[in-house]
Amino acid sequence: MSADVIREQPPERIALPRAKWWQSQTFDVVQFVVLVGGLVWLTARGADAMGYNWQWYRMPKFFWQVIDGELIWGPLMTGLVTTIELSIYSMFLTIAIGLITALLRMSDSISGQILGKVYLESVRNTPLLVQMLVFYFVISPIIGVDRFWTGVLCLSFFEGSFASEIIRAGINSVPRGQWEASASVGLSRANTYRHVVLPQAVPLMLPPMTGVLINLIKHSAIVSVIALFELTTEGRNIIADTFMSFEVWLTIAAMYLVITISLSMFVGYLERRVRRRE
Amino acid sequence: MPPLAQKRCFKLLDAIILSTVAALIAFVFYQVDSVLAYEWDWSVIPRYLFRRDESTGDLVPNLFVLGVLTTIRLAAWSLFFAAIIGGIMGVMRTSTRLFPRLLSRAYVELIRNIPPLVFIFIFYFFISSQIMPVLGVDEFVRSASPATVTILEWTASPPKLFSNFLSGVICLSLFSGAYVTEIVRAGIQAIPKSQFEAGASVGLSYFQTMRHVVLPQALQRVIPPLAGQFIILIKDSSLVSLISIQELTFFANEIAISTTQVFEVWIFVGLLYFVICYSCALAFGWLERRSEVYR
Repeated sequence: MSADVIREQPPERIALPRAKWWQSQTFDVVQFVVLVGGLVWLTARGADAMGYNWQWYRMPKFFWQVIDGELIWGPLMTGLVTTIELSIYSMFLTIAIGLITALLRMSDSISGQILGKVYLESVRNTPLLVQMLVFYFVISPIIGVDRFWTGVLCLSFFEGSFASEIIRAGINSVPRGQWEASASVGLSRANTYRHVVLPQAVPLMLPPMTGVLINLIKHSAIVSVIALFELTTEGRNIIADTFMSFEVWLTIAAMYLVITISLSMFVGYLERRVRRRE
Repeated sequence: MPPLAQKRCFKLLDAIILSTVAALIAFVFYQVDSVLAYEWDWSVIPRYLFRRDESTGDLVPNLFVLGVLTTIRLAAWSLFFAAIIGGIMGVMRTSTRLFPRLLSRAYVELIRNIPPLVFIFIFYFFISSQIMPVLGVDEFVRSASPATVTILEWTASPPKLFSNFLSGVICLSLFSGAYVTEIVRAGIQAIPKSQFEAGASVGLSYFQTMRHVVLPQALQRVIPPLAGQFIILIKDSSLVSLISIQELTFFANEIAISTTQVFEVWIFVGLLYFVICYSCALAFGWLERRSEVYR
C-alpha cells in the first residue's frame, strides 16, 4: 500500500457527544437571572413583611423638579456634583503628592528617602476613617482650612501613596538602556525625563491612574463623616427627613455603580490600547 | 530602571527637605500654642487605657484596650468567614461553567464598585434588620449556658452586644470576601494548565483535580495576600463604628467627645492603629521570608 492511498482516506470523524440542554450557556444565564430575581423578590417580600411602605414615586423629585417651568436640581444631583468636584480637585493634588513622593523615594538623598518612607507607611497602616477624623479634628484647625478642603487634602493624602507607587513603577519600567542612551547623546537629567522617559512611562501609568480616580470617587463617600454635603451625606439627610432608607440607599448605590463601572470600562479600554502598542 | 543612584550623601536636596520639615513643625507648634491656645493634657490616654476597679482596686482594661481587643476579634472572625466566602467564590470564578462565573463575577463587581461606606449602610438597614431576628441570635444568647457565655466573651463580645458584633462580622466578611475571591482566583490561575490536564489524564474528576492537585498548590500562593487582608480588615473595621459597633474608633469618638481632649485622643488612636498594622506587616513579612528559606 503506497502512502498516497493512505492519504486519500477521509479522516475519521470523532463523534462528540451532543451537549445536553442543561449544558448550554443559555441555561446558565437563565439560572443566573432566576437566582437574582428570586433574591430581589425575597428582599421585597421581607421588607413587606416588616410593614415597609415602598414609596419609589417620591424619589424623582430628589433628582430634579420643574416648578413654574423652572428646573431646580434636587439634593441628589447637587450631592453628585460635589462628589465629582471633590474627586477632581483631589485627583490633581493626588498626582502632585504622588509625583513628589516618587521622586523623593528615587532620589539619592537620605532625608528624602526617609520622608517618603515615613509618609507611605503612615498612610498604609492607618484606616482612612481615622485619617479623615485626624485631618478634621487636628490638622484642619491647625492650618485653618474649611470642610471641603479638609476632605480634599485627606483624600489626596490617602490616594497619593497609591499614585506614588504607580509613578515609580512606570518610571522603573523604562529600560536602563534608555537612560544610558540619552546620557550618551548628552541630554541632561531633566531633558532625559522630558524627552525620553516620560513619553514612554506615561501611557503605562494612565490605566492605573484612572483606577485611582475610581477609588477617589468611592472613598469620597467617607467625607460624609465630617458632614460635607456630597452624595452620601445628602442621602443620609433625605433619609432623616423621609425615612425612605431602602429607596434612597439603593438609588445612591446605583448612582455610584454607574459612575465606577463606566470608569472601569474606560480603564479596560486604555489597558487594551497599551497592550496593542507593545 | 533608572541608573543606579550614587552613594548616599548629604546634599542640597537634604538641606531643603530638612529645613521645610523644620519650618512645618515650627508652624504647627506656633499655631497650636499661640493661635489655638490648646491645653494639652496627655493624662487622658493612660486613664482610658486602664482604670482601677472601684470595688476591688485592681487595674482593669478601660475603653481603649477593650476597643483594640474588639477590633482584633472583629478582624479575625471576618477574615475567617471571608476566607470561606472567598474560597467558594474564587473556585466558582475559575469554573468552566458560565453560571458560577456569572454569580461570583456579579458579587465581586457589585462589592468593589460600591463605596465601602454605602455598602455598610445598605447592609445595616437591609440585612441586620431582617436577618438578625430570623437567626434568633438574641434568644440564643439569652438562653445560653454560663460556659457558652464565657467562651463568647473571650472569643467575640459581651453577650449584650453579641448580635451587634455578629452583624459587624457578617458585614465585614461579605465586604472583604470579594477581595479574597480575587486573591483565590489569582492563586488558582497561577497554577499551570498542565496540572489540570495531568489530573484529568489520570482519571480524576473536576472536583478531585481541584481537591488533590490544584488547591494544595494554590494555597501556598494564597496565604501571603490573605495575611495582608488581615491588616486591611483591621483598618476597614474602623468603618463599622459608623453603625455603632463598639470597636476602637467608636470608643475613641466617645472619649474625644466626653473629655474634649480631641487632639490627644485622635493622635493616639492614629498611632495605635499604626503600631498594630505595622507590627502585623513586619511579622507577616518575616514569616514569609522564613518560609521562602525552607521551601
